[in-house]
Amino acid sequence: MINLQDIRDTARDMLAKGEVRTVIGYRRGTRGMLAEPAFITDPAQADDLVWNPTCFHNLSLYLVEDRKFLAHLRQNPGAPIGIVAKGCDARSIVVLMQEHYFKREDVYIIGVSCEGTGVVDERKLAPHLNGFQASDAVFDGDDFVFTTAQGEKRLPAREVMADRCLECRIPFPKEHNLVFGEDKTGRQLAEPFAALKRFEAQEGGDRWNFWSHHFDRCIRCFACRSVCPMCYCDECVVDSITFPVTSETSAEEKANRIRWIERSATRSENITYLMTRAMHLAGRCTDCGECERACPVNVPIRLLNNKMEREAREKFGFEPGASIGGPSLVASFLDNDPGDFIR
Amino acid sequence: MEKILEKKRIDDWIKALSDWEVHAPALQDGIWTYQPVSGAIRLDHPNTNQSPKGFAFPQREIFFSFEQIKGEPPKLKQVLPKTPQHAVFGVRPCDGRGVPRMDKVFNDHVEDPYYNARRKNVAYVGLACNKPPSPNCFCLSVGGSPVSTDGLDVQLTDMGDRYFVKAITEAGKALMKAADGMFSDPSAAEQKQLKQVHAEAVAHPQRKVNDPDGAPAKLKANFNSPLWEEMARACIGCGICTFLCPTCHCFDINDEVQNKAPLKGQRVRTWDNCQFPDFTMHSSGHNPRENTGARLRQRVNHKFQYFHENFGMHQCTGCGRCITGCPVGIDIVTVVNKVTEHAG
Repeated sequence: MINLQDIRDTARDMLAKGEVRTVIGYRRGTRGMLAEPAFITDPAQADDLVWNPTCFHNLSLYLVEDRKFLAHLRQNPGAPIGIVAKGCDARSIVVLMQEHYFKREDVYIIGVSCEGTGVVDERKLAPHLNGFQASDAVFDGDDFVFTTAQGEKRLPAREVMADRCLECRIPFPKEHNLVFGEDKTGRQLAEPFAALKRFEAQEGGDRWNFWSHHFDRCIRCFACRSVCPMCYCDECVVDSITFPVTSETSAEEKANRIRWIERSATRSENITYLMTRAMHLAGRCTDCGECERACPVNVPIRLLNNKMEREAREKFGFEPGASIGGPSLVASFLDNDPGDFIR
Repeated sequence: MEKILEKKRIDDWIKALSDWEVHAPALQDGIWTYQPVSGAIRLDHPNTNQSPKGFAFPQREIFFSFEQIKGEPPKLKQVLPKTPQHAVFGVRPCDGRGVPRMDKVFNDHVEDPYYNARRKNVAYVGLACNKPPSPNCFCLSVGGSPVSTDGLDVQLTDMGDRYFVKAITEAGKALMKAADGMFSDPSAAEQKQLKQVHAEAVAHPQRKVNDPDGAPAKLKANFNSPLWEEMARACIGCGICTFLCPTCHCFDINDEVQNKAPLKGQRVRTWDNCQFPDFTMHSSGHNPRENTGARLRQRVNHKFQYFHENFGMHQCTGCGRCITGCPVGIDIVTVVNKVTEHAG
């Protein structure tokens, strides 16, 4: 069990001593039970921090934002930034460091183990609450306990947990400066890639129709891209301006810019967007599942990323975010690579 | 025109609407969306995932097509939408109130022929909210009500085994007349019951914008407040809040070229979004709304200040979609309250 007060005390102490300039963590939001990202700079606010089954967010996203902001100001980071990280989040931080987005010493990882559980999936929870909204959610061993106007509702975690957590192989932030909770790596709540396997068993050779249906539903709000710590490119194929514009950029360059993807949310454009994103995440996605959670129209985006992840795992034994010094999937090769074209 | 319809006859009514293309909320892929009706409908939806604004303002609208053979003048052909008459069932009062707001935007100063061509063929059959369909509802704070008929052509009120059906406009009367025999006149007891159901609906607690009347002046006074950046710190710059909103109407216009030589393509309007970083990007590379704070301020001030200054009403209708949908907890009720309370 994780004692929330320990996390708060750590944050308070480190901020007070100036060991970190900010602690990025979770606090209670203003809509029901849901946690929201918190950026604590004042030690007195450390008690705002929470840890509960609604701490969905992969906060490493904000490390990217911070880095971009510092670069914009041309400032050195100074003291490191503290961040509360679950297993998947910590692996994202590792990938970002593999890609030299920031240095190890710029980040102080306050790891939190998901132990035997993970985060709740609101879509799975809703039917259990009979239309009531939960005002609070806590971990209680293998159960989640929700407070509603009807009273307390205790649910086995695995019934309402997000698929990403059920299938998580490493619910522990191996890369950390400090960690709360036990390492329960190897707990098996569901087999790895279970949702992907379910989908593949069901599809019945009708994959094109399945994906056409979902690609047609995408509204191109780009929440999946925006919420993803790996989608940090300054130039994204979907944006109206796909290269940095400066005062030196000529009118002709701007007028003749390549538009890889039109803004219309039509099938061809949506496919190009979502498939491009899936390809760019191969070997980088740590399955935090935030893209699928954020999607307002329930496009099963995670299946695409999982597919890439499984390919990399089966073909090359590759585990994204395993170690900072480790190879990246697409920038390394094996002497015993299964494909002869590369040897 | 006020009538009573037995609930079990609603599908018969819809069948009688052969001159209309009928849409109603359906649960598909885990979300409620407006779908063309085929078979029985159910009007027990919380609120739809997206607002019904797309019936008059679709995410993609073709303005005209163009063709040019090298050396010859270009040929343009306007493409005005030719839509059948639509009847949209199950529209919640907040979304109903979105309709006159969109009408203003697309008809003030300039009349938008594309919007109007669609709009004139849509009738909205509303459903009063006997209880708030979302925990983030706040229609009462923004001049609305769970029993508002603003923007609707017909209002349905669920009274157990019957609907109380009220025509609000001529288009609404036409929908009811298409199935004249199915309706009966309300008794005095049913009139009384309607009043009671409506009174109970209005009495349900909702989330609250504390000072909606003072908001325009206070938002204006707080334009440069550091609160904006602080409140937008977690904003990821996605388009959920505005794309799901019943009154957000910003758009982009692009030429989509299908063929370079001979040149052939279409000019299209698509939804755009003030939360995207490149929304205000100038061609010089300068971006006047360069951070998430400035962009959040634009969204909130547009709803609660600028629109109010232009049209004398809040643009926000309190549906709560932007709150429910935000992946990082940005909550327009909290934001407006914080800013208005900050000004004291």
